[in-house]
Amino acid sequence: MASITTNTPANGSDKDPVSLFESHRRQMIRDRMVVNVTLGVLFIAFLLWSAWISRFTPDRLAAGLPRIMEYFGSVMPSLQWDVLFESRDEAGRFPPGSLGFWYNDFWKYIRLIWETIRMALTATLIGTGLAVILAFLAARNTTPAHWVGVAARRFLEFCRGVPEILFALVLVFAVGIGPLAGVIAIVIHATGALGKLSSEVVENASMRPVDGIKAVGGNWFEQMRYGILPQVMPNYTSYALWRFEINVRASAVVGFVGAGGIGAELSHVISFYSDDRVTAVLILIVLTVTMIDLLSERLRHALIGKESLK
Amino acid sequence: MLEFNDLTKAFHSTTAVKPATFTIPDGQMVGIIGRSGAGKSTLLRMINRLNEPTGGQMLFQGRDITALRGRELRQWRNECAMVFQQFNLVGRLNVITNVMSGRLFHHNFFSSMAGVFSEKERAFAIRALDRLGMAHTALQQTDTLSGGQMQRVAIARALVQEPRIMLADEPIASLDPLNAKVVMDALRAINQQDGLTVICNLHTLDTARQYCDRIIGMQEGVIVFDGTPKELTDKAAREIYGAEAEDAFSEAMTSTALRPGAQRAQPEVRVVN
Repeated sequence: MASITTNTPANGSDKDPVSLFESHRRQMIRDRMVVNVTLGVLFIAFLLWSAWISRFTPDRLAAGLPRIMEYFGSVMPSLQWDVLFESRDEAGRFPPGSLGFWYNDFWKYIRLIWETIRMALTATLIGTGLAVILAFLAARNTTPAHWVGVAARRFLEFCRGVPEILFALVLVFAVGIGPLAGVIAIVIHATGALGKLSSEVVENASMRPVDGIKAVGGNWFEQMRYGILPQVMPNYTSYALWRFEINVRASAVVGFVGAGGIGAELSHVISFYSDDRVTAVLILIVLTVTMIDLLSERLRHALIGKESLK
Repeated sequence: MLEFNDLTKAFHSTTAVKPATFTIPDGQMVGIIGRSGAGKSTLLRMINRLNEPTGGQMLFQGRDITALRGRELRQWRNECAMVFQQFNLVGRLNVITNVMSGRLFHHNFFSSMAGVFSEKERAFAIRALDRLGMAHTALQQTDTLSGGQMQRVAIARALVQEPRIMLADEPIASLDPLNAKVVMDALRAINQQDGLTVICNLHTLDTARQYCDRIIGMQEGVIVFDGTPKELTDKAAREIYGAEAEDAFSEAMTSTALRPGAQRAQPEVRVVN
């Protein structure tokens, strides 16, 4: 019996399977190389072009970086160790250099951060609800009519295509300054993003249960509610949690245009004081976002882990 | 009585079911046989309009089934229950909810969206499950069941519809011989005890011969045989199956015949729903 590792043709012809495979493989690598090199050259060309447009040059960077440092220097608190934990004096004031002085408005910040979280929570709940309904309309396998699907998909594209901050700007003008404008802005964007993801999940769901419900005389709503929803529920929950993380950050940002929450305060302290209050607010925002990210990640992994065990 | 007048189904370039005219009296158990692609499923799925006929007419007790729309169509589907090869249950719901979903036609929008079923419906569902020996699984998640168990749950769902006709699209094609026998026995019992018309797609001869009052043979969309099991001679069967005749005659695969050595290792059927 011939060893399978020898490189001689088994049947004496030059159509040896190994050399045939090798030549085929070399051809494939050569073909792929051409594509890769072309793409690489194009990428570098575009990179240089955009650097040129934005005047992203080393000397401007070198000039700008110290100024960033300078700004952070000016908003750093000047804490002094000897009075760090001092409480209020007789006049009810914290001595300069103490933590209390730095975080004089601590409870106001906490109230605003709590408002931001509630904005994100409200927006996530409403956005997920709308996204679930729109996903069934947008998914190609469940849409009641072709034109409905196309309309729903275009609508979702519009919702997620426009940044929250733009919606917030318009809505602050329409419904006034405050959290309502922010919540609506985030709802629109979250609906667009979640609706797209959810409709893809629906498109991957099995249609057999839908046939089953159709065969018992169920209408479209019942087909969705019983045939699809139980299949996609774990994914939806995971997506909603992930969107909540994003919405917390988003609701901090929309505050900049007056749409409520901690963002409004950050914008206020930056434009009016630019002193240690900026870092005070920033640190709280970063802490909150990190905590919520970690928590939601835990929850999501627990959820996905539970699913994958089945 | 279910009457078919030139019922046709044409896809873009092919005709899956060529004009079919026949009548099924109430209470008959009919087996439709033929090789795969013969149009059996299409014919069956046209009866409850999961597939739309492209021509001809279907009448049930004189009522034109092909013209039904909207709520009337859903009422007809509720009257003629269907059992599928892949069970088509909702795997992530529990067994009793799957069975109770057979009552959805009688629910209003809010109770069906909220998933609220009455005590009476629960009792009805449990009795249907009990009849098929599945009552003990009522609170289990459906995708933890085996194929044979799922098919029995699917039959229970069909039963709570209180149908007048039961359609079964290859009900035993995904089952091992023992489970296939349990399922076919259940369908036969429903036919004989409840007097339901049962129309069943089968791909093995002996099952059709053993359980059905009448056998309809299809070949490339045409009904080539219609008669009693006795009339279905080997010669007639060979004509129905054509080149696949030998497969159909070596009935060891998924038939209900439990012969020693007849059981072959079944590939595990994983149901993703």
